Amino acid sequence: MDETRQNGSGNKSGAADTAAPLLVLKGLDKRFGATHALKSVDLIFEKGEIHAIVGENGAGKSTLIKLLTGVHVRSGGEVYWEGQPVALATPHEAIGHGINAVHQEVVLCPHLTVAANLFLGDEKVRLGLLRHGEMVREAQKILDEIGFKIAAGAILSSLTIGQQQLVATARATTRGTRFLIFDEPTAYLTRQETAQLFALIGRLKAKGVTIVYISHRLEEVFQLADRVSILRDGQLVSTQRVAETNEEKLITGMIARSLDQIHYKEMVPFGAEILRTEKLSGKGFEDISIRVRAGEVIGLYGLIGAGRSEFVQSVFGRFPKTGGQIFWDGHPVQIRKEKDAIGVGIALVPESRRDQGLCLNLGVGFNINLPIYKRLTKVIVINPFAEAAAADRQIRDVQIKTASRDAPASSLSGGNQQKVVVGKWLNHGAKLFIFDEPTVGVDVGTKVEIYKLFAKLLKAGAGIILISSYLPEVYDLADTLHVFRRGRLVATHDSAHTSEKTLHETILTEALGV
Amino acid sequence: MSVEGKIEASEAVQLAATKRRAQIGTLLSLTLVALLALMWVVLSFSTKSFMTPNNIANLLRQGAMIAILALGETFVVITAGIDLSVGAVVGFTSVIIALLLTNGFPIWASIIITLLVGLAIGVFHAFGISKLGLPPFIMTLATLTALRGVGLLITNGATISITNDEFTGFSRGDFIGVPNLFWMVIVVAVPAYVFLHQSRFGRYLFAIGSNTEAARLSGVNTTGMLYVAYTLSSLCAAFVGILLAARIGIGNATQAEGWELQAIASSVIGGTSLFGAVGSVHGPLLGSFILTTINNGANLLNVNAFWQRIITGVLIIVIVYFDGLRRKKR
Repeated sequence: MDETRQNGSGNKSGAADTAAPLLVLKGLDKRFGATHALKSVDLIFEKGEIHAIVGENGAGKSTLIKLLTGVHVRSGGEVYWEGQPVALATPHEAIGHGINAVHQEVVLCPHLTVAANLFLGDEKVRLGLLRHGEMVREAQKILDEIGFKIAAGAILSSLTIGQQQLVATARATTRGTRFLIFDEPTAYLTRQETAQLFALIGRLKAKGVTIVYISHRLEEVFQLADRVSILRDGQLVSTQRVAETNEEKLITGMIARSLDQIHYKEMVPFGAEILRTEKLSGKGFEDISIRVRAGEVIGLYGLIGAGRSEFVQSVFGRFPKTGGQIFWDGHPVQIRKEKDAIGVGIALVPESRRDQGLCLNLGVGFNINLPIYKRLTKVIVINPFAEAAAADRQIRDVQIKTASRDAPASSLSGGNQQKVVVGKWLNHGAKLFIFDEPTVGVDVGTKVEIYKLFAKLLKAGAGIILISSYLPEVYDLADTLHVFRRGRLVATHDSAHTSEKTLHETILTEALGV
Repeated sequence: MSVEGKIEASEAVQLAATKRRAQIGTLLSLTLVALLALMWVVLSFSTKSFMTPNNIANLLRQGAMIAILALGETFVVITAGIDLSVGAVVGFTSVIIALLLTNGFPIWASIIITLLVGLAIGVFHAFGISKLGLPPFIMTLATLTALRGVGLLITNGATISITNDEFTGFSRGDFIGVPNLFWMVIVVAVPAYVFLHQSRFGRYLFAIGSNTEAARLSGVNTTGMLYVAYTLSSLCAAFVGILLAARIGIGNATQAEGWELQAIASSVIGGTSLFGAVGSVHGPLLGSFILTTINNGANLLNVNAFWQRIITGVLIIVIVYFDGLRRKKR
């Protein structure tokens, strides 16, 4: 943290008024309820620099972007634009200053042409009528100028995701942008497209535009950036000149753990094998062989798109496998639909509780009992006493904090919603729990609760598959850790690791493929 | 420690808020009963003819048919769908039963066949929505217009008079002083209550309306439940078609124009959310009798018929707005 301040003051003394920083953040702070997403971050962005920001998932990068683009309003701290304090309270205000962002996901209108998207909200008009021809010509000129090989008259959805991403980039550069944020811009780009993008970034820098570049790909950071800042757990670790650092230093900065990160883990003796996959293949993953025993946590680590989620969704019957075999209790089973998976005793605790896990506006008890209403039915009527008892038992056992079993699931905190999903499956008698990013967006206290819940499941003889992009989490909780990269299982580590730190670095290196 | 302390404090606040919301919910259904009672009291003082046995019986008969339609509609709306065809189904099935009766079918057989026609229409809706992937709005809009066409085609646009006095007499009769038509509401509402509030299938309808994906991932047969919902709605509409044919003694495909909107309005006034997962059996019943009372009262007070429509519209906005306020706090 000291380095930041040295850097800031060093710059001031070095280059006088002409190089006054474009944007200065002082003690920038953001809380979401009990979650402290960004903790007093100080950052300086110079004119015309390429400033990379690195950090693990959940380190606070997206929160930072959202504060700078006015999507969220900060809870504390000050922001200075060319020395003047600014509020950045709305996206409109941010754009007005010339702050723009190119997001990982394309936020454009897929049914309109490239030209229409480029000029959306700023159309060329004569006598109230659109001038289609001129817009297409103008758009083509812009695209050609910045070196993107895209037809301006094409419908956006007919382009590849990578090309769409370039259109979004082109759009962001056209409207007087002086500060441009890239969030994982190369995730979907081909090599040629990446080259086109980097050429554009170089040209923008030459024009004096400040670039903030966020990426997991450290080699890009070294290729492009002038300076790099590391975020971890919402705090700024350091800001360094790229020339003065190396990949190893960056990785160490990203993963070194803070003291308040508690990963609760009890050792439970392993029991019999529950699930085994042999050379399972499907869309997005190939040749995956893993084994889960009772009382065991299997961690799957990898970047987004590495094939972990695709693999477990196939185990859960979401997408059909194209090859290989799944064994349950030692016997081969056919899992073609979710129903088959639920039938054998597999439970999926999905990444998005809101979209896939819960009926939010319905009661806690309702959600818990949803898979077992058949069991609660006598003749045709649900036995209300059995229904209440089943719900109350899970609320007690999993310690769900709720006003009553009738309170809507939406009234609970994130961690307690997670417990409702787990309680639902415990009720049903599941033996294998797949947790997909269970601690995304939950605060430290709730994380500990979820970890304790893991221990409870393991003691009850269940097995767990844990998917997480947060390395310290999988690292500490998993008994066996599989690393995925580009759809393949590239490495496996068991808990008898020797040196914590080196293994950390090894795993991150394996996942990044650097 | 301090973090956990804060979490607990924020949860305590949430718990209190939840309790308060539950109280507001009970208040609303009581408000509807109170609103209906208030209208009846005011009307019985302000007009001489409201509290007469004749008028009350008439009101119950009028309200009964919309009430049954609204009930069927509610099953669909709870799944976050909509059935725009119910009015057309009423008109169409009135033609079917009139044809059957004039062709000498016994009453019981005519009723069963007509109900089967309703069932088939519902199955067709669910097929279009789940297998062809059409939005419910479009699917039922299509049958709304098509069914009227089919009805007109088979009758060649003519009205079929029903000469069976036993059949038409039913709608005028009563049982222990209550019109037969109102008894039909009870005949439908009691099993509907058991189905929606006490059986697992009712729970599944709510789950689908709240989050289809979560319901499916919990092992609910979501497609099958859509068939159930749309079939029940069309079945209720076919039943109303039979009652209407008995009441007016004719079969005509253009009858019951706009009843689908009254059914949806009744359901919504009764607290059903068009976003799904919120609804009850008693709500649409109350809603339909509130609407019928407004029309009946306005007639007796000699309010211009045009004004009646305006008042109904305004009332729907007011009631649903206050209901939305209640829900938004969730």
